[in-house]
Formats: sequence, structure tokens, C-alpha cells
Amino acid sequence: MTILEGPAGAPRKPVIRQPGLLSQMWTARADYLYVLPAIVVMLIVIAYPVYYTIDLSFFKTPPGLQLRDKVFVGTENYTAILSSDVFWKVTLNTVIWTVASTLIAFVLGYASALALHRDFAGRAVLRAILIIPWVISAVAASYIWKWMYHSDFGIIGAVMVQLGLVDRQPNFIDNVHTVLPSLIVVNIWREFPFAMIMIMAGLQTVPEQLLRAARVDGASAWQRFWHVTFPYLSGVSTVTILLLAVANFNSFIVPWITTGGGPSNASHIWITHIYELAFGRQRWGVAAAYSVLLFIIVMSLGYFYVRALSGNERKEDSP
Amino acid sequence: MTSTAQSGAPRGARRIDGWRWAGRIFLAFMLLYTALPMVWMLLTSIKSGFAAMQFPPQWWPSEPTLASYQKLLDPQNSVGQDFLRFFWNSLFVSTVTTILAVAVAVPAAYAFSRFRFPGRKFLFFAVLLRNMFPAVIFLVPLFILMRWLGLVNTHGSLILTYLTFGLPLAIWLLKGFYDNIPFQLEQAARIDGATRFQAFLYIVMPLSVPGIIATAIYSFIGAWNEYIYAATFLTKNEQLTLPVGIQRFFSENTTDFPGLMAASFMMSVPVVVLFLLLQKYFVRALTEGAVKH
Repeated sequence: MTILEGPAGAPRKPVIRQPGLLSQMWTARADYLYVLPAIVVMLIVIAYPVYYTIDLSFFKTPPGLQLRDKVFVGTENYTAILSSDVFWKVTLNTVIWTVASTLIAFVLGYASALALHRDFAGRAVLRAILIIPWVISAVAASYIWKWMYHSDFGIIGAVMVQLGLVDRQPNFIDNVHTVLPSLIVVNIWREFPFAMIMIMAGLQTVPEQLLRAARVDGASAWQRFWHVTFPYLSGVSTVTILLLAVANFNSFIVPWITTGGGPSNASHIWITHIYELAFGRQRWGVAAAYSVLLFIIVMSLGYFYVRALSGNERKEDSP
Repeated sequence: MTSTAQSGAPRGARRIDGWRWAGRIFLAFMLLYTALPMVWMLLTSIKSGFAAMQFPPQWWPSEPTLASYQKLLDPQNSVGQDFLRFFWNSLFVSTVTTILAVAVAVPAAYAFSRFRFPGRKFLFFAVLLRNMFPAVIFLVPLFILMRWLGLVNTHGSLILTYLTFGLPLAIWLLKGFYDNIPFQLEQAARIDGATRFQAFLYIVMPLSVPGIIATAIYSFIGAWNEYIYAATFLTKNEQLTLPVGIQRFFSENTTDFPGLMAASFMMSVPVVVLFLLLQKYFVRALTEGAVKH
């Protein structure tokens, strides 16, 4: 059954009678050995923590990790979160952070990939330089930008002063109004190369004949892009945007290292806020309830992610 | 350039030229955005502490010095000892993670690509869904799990965690490669008397080397740069990896910006060099695996 069926795409003969699930599984028993290591590791490190977090979210916990003394409080943690002002502020920050980072990083990455698609002298070098921010450690990136934003000696403020745009060094990351945009700039710096690589890879799959045919038919550069390249890349684009959105929603290092969520929660996003609740204020139960809420949101994003991926897969299976 | 925005304009040659110029200007802007922070990191790292903190800043260091690098790389003084130890810890954790990730991901990806066992679809999506979980959900329970396993304050805790969290994309990338290796090659080997495992080992494995390299780069970079688990599972100074070690060190020495920039630079060098040497495999793996139509 297993090996004879051939690779994806092989025509499926209609099966007269499906053998039972258990006998199918027994026939395929050797196949499971190949995935067993992956599954075992996943179960230990993923299934148990998810169960544990859900469980803990219904308890009031004492400080320190003396979790034996936890007290069952039902949904009290959840109501406490949903009725707090900080929750809504942090949620707004998270939405701004995720949407702005994802869209701008995607657009910049997309445009870079298009601009780099045509051959010119120095293209390989330029492409390599543009990818580097994605590779270097987020901790290093955070420190570099924190230093550039420095309120006394930062280069960005100094340039603005020299150009006469402002009178004195602006305080980018100690100001509640500018801190979030400033950090989004850092985040985009780190992430647009990922979108660029994905789109560059996608561009190689656009058939050259189609573009040439469109050119022969008199389509302008913009029309060729809009009617050929863009639709062809829609699958890759969807996956890239979803991956970026999830990564941004889950990002931690940039806000944590540069500001720690401050000043006055202006740069707290969900993850940094949960981290501070758990490891800073040791409110494990509340942090767990937060995590469950986050988990629900991420799972609904994940639904679209899987839909987008399986859409691609279906195309592969039945060409 | 303004003429380029109007797609209906008749003169084709002018328009194409306009797009080309728009592309060049855009790339110049992206180059500045990307490279200036890195250039400023390097310039700061070769200044003295005094020269770095001036207003207006010294755009170019008047007296360039390698003192920060000497301090960080000198095994005689305590700063250098710490830095070198963090460096080796990072190298150890990342290398072991990479080797294990490849060893686990190769058979799994092969199975997902070739076999049709019941539950295959579900398992594959379960693997992919891991990408969606935020790290914070796992921190407390994993910490307790690691304590129970006796792995807190060992590098084993990090290796186990990174392995799990690197696997989904690794399997995904590799599966794309196996999907593209013709099944007939294996069938031919089977007909010649090879077992299924031999066909896998001698026919499929060598053909999937580029995919394995891409997977390895991905695992290595992920492990090298990881911060949040390392900050939670390790408390002893001598076990810290670079990102956490540097953060702890500079939260005590907040004004040593040249030192901080030199450390950031040296932390970036291994992964950047590795990536630049092997990037063609990575892009190819994405093309063949992730974005295939």
C-alpha cells in the first residue's frame, strides 16, 4: 500500500474496499519509525507545555515557582486580564506592531526582490548585503539600534540636528509617542530580507515565456508585473505574509532588549508583557491565562496558514 | 520617474527606463538603510570610550583603536575570559543542535514525502503548526520540565528545546527536496536488490545534500541567535551563550559602547560568514521546497 502508491502526483486507482484503519496502520508500521523521533521530541516539548499552561491558567499562584501551593480560582485570571486597561493598551500596541511590521517589511522585501531580479554589475554583492540584517543576532541588532537612537550620542539624532531638522537630540526610545515607530523600524530592518528571499525564490518559478508573450502583445512593464508576475506569486506572498505576521506577533527580543516595554508600557507587546508578568512579577497564573488567550489568537492565524499551505499542496497533488 | 506611474502612457522605451531608475534609487535607499547601522557598529567598535561619547559625534574615528577587540579576546583578563567562554558555549550548543536536527529531520521529511501512512497529513500539519506557538507559552512549563529532567543549567536543556523548535521548518524544507527526487531512481535500486533503507541511504541521501546544507544553516543560525530560552534556563555565568552573556555583561557596563559594538560584531561574524558562503543552497531549498507551484 505504502510504497507502491508512488510519489505525490501519481494517479490514484479507485480502491474497491478500504481496509480498516488499524490494519492500514499495521501495514504502514515501518513508516512510522521514520517520523517517530520527530514525534517523540515534539510530544515532550510541545504537548506537555500546552496542557500545563491551560491547566495553570485556572489557578492563583504564589510567587516563586512553588507551584504546589497554587489555588484553583476558575476563570478569575481571565476576567482580571480582560478588565484591565493595560491589556487593551498592550493589545493595541501589538496590533500596530504586527500589522505595520508585516506590511512594510513585505512591501520593502517584495520591491527589493523585483529590483534585484534584473542582472546588473554588483547584484550578487548587493543582495548579500541586504540579507545580512536577517542573519545577525536580534540581540546584536537591538544594541546597534539602541546605540544609534541614544538620547545624547545617537547618530540618528545627531544627523537630524546637523541637517537643522530639530534643535536638540530627539529622544526616540524614551518617548511614549516615538518609541513604538522607532522599534518598528528596527524590526523591519531585521525582517524585510526574509520577504525578499522568499519573493526572489518565487520569481524564479515565473515562466519566462509568459513574460515574453506579454511583452510581444505590447504589455507595459507595469502590466506585465500586475497581470503575470503578481498573480503568479500570490501563493508565495500569502505564505510569506502569514509567516511574517506570526513572527511579529511572537517577537520579543527587539522590544525587550531596547526598552523592556517602557516607557510606561508604550512599547510593551503581548509577549514582552507576558514575560514580565511571569518572570518579573511572578504572577504565573495570570501569565498562563494571557498565554492561553494569545494561543487562541495564534491558532486562528494558524488556521489560515494551514489553509494557505494546503492550498499549495493540493495544487501539487493534482496538477 | 513620474511618467512611470502612468501605465497607460504610450512611449514604451521611456517607461522601462523609468522603472529601471526607480529600481536603482530604491536599491540605493535600501542599501543605506541596511548597511549604515552595520557601518556605524564597526566605526564605533574601533573608537575609544571617550571618542564614542562626543557631540557632535566623530563621524570617522580620529584615533582608531582595536582596544575593545583586544579586551574581549584576551584570555588573561576577566572580560576576555567571559567572552571567549560565551563564544565556545554558543558554538557547542549550535553545533550539537544542528547535527541532531539534521539526523531527526532527514528521516521524518523523507517519510512525509514518500509514504502514505494513516495520519500522515495530520502529523505534517502538527509539525508545521509548531511555527505558530509563541515561545512564551513554553517558558514556564518547559522550565519545570527541565527541572524535572535535571537539565536546568545544562546545555542539554537548550539543545533539546532548539531541536524541537527548529524541526518544523527543517522538515518542511527537506520535504520539498525529497518531493523533487524522482521516485523511479529508488524503484530502480529496489529492483536491483537494495532494501528500502539502502535505497534511501545510497540514492536519496546524496541527492538531497543541498537541502541538508540549507537545513543545517537554518538550525545553526537559529540556535546561535536564540535568546529567550537561554536567558531562562541558564543562570550560571560560565554556561551562558553569547546573546545572554552579552546582555548580562552590558547591563552592568552600560556606557562601554565600543565594547558593546565590538561584541555585537564578533557575535555576528560566524553566522554571517556561514550564511554568505552557503546562501545559494538556502535560496535553492526555498525555491524547490517552500514556494514550488
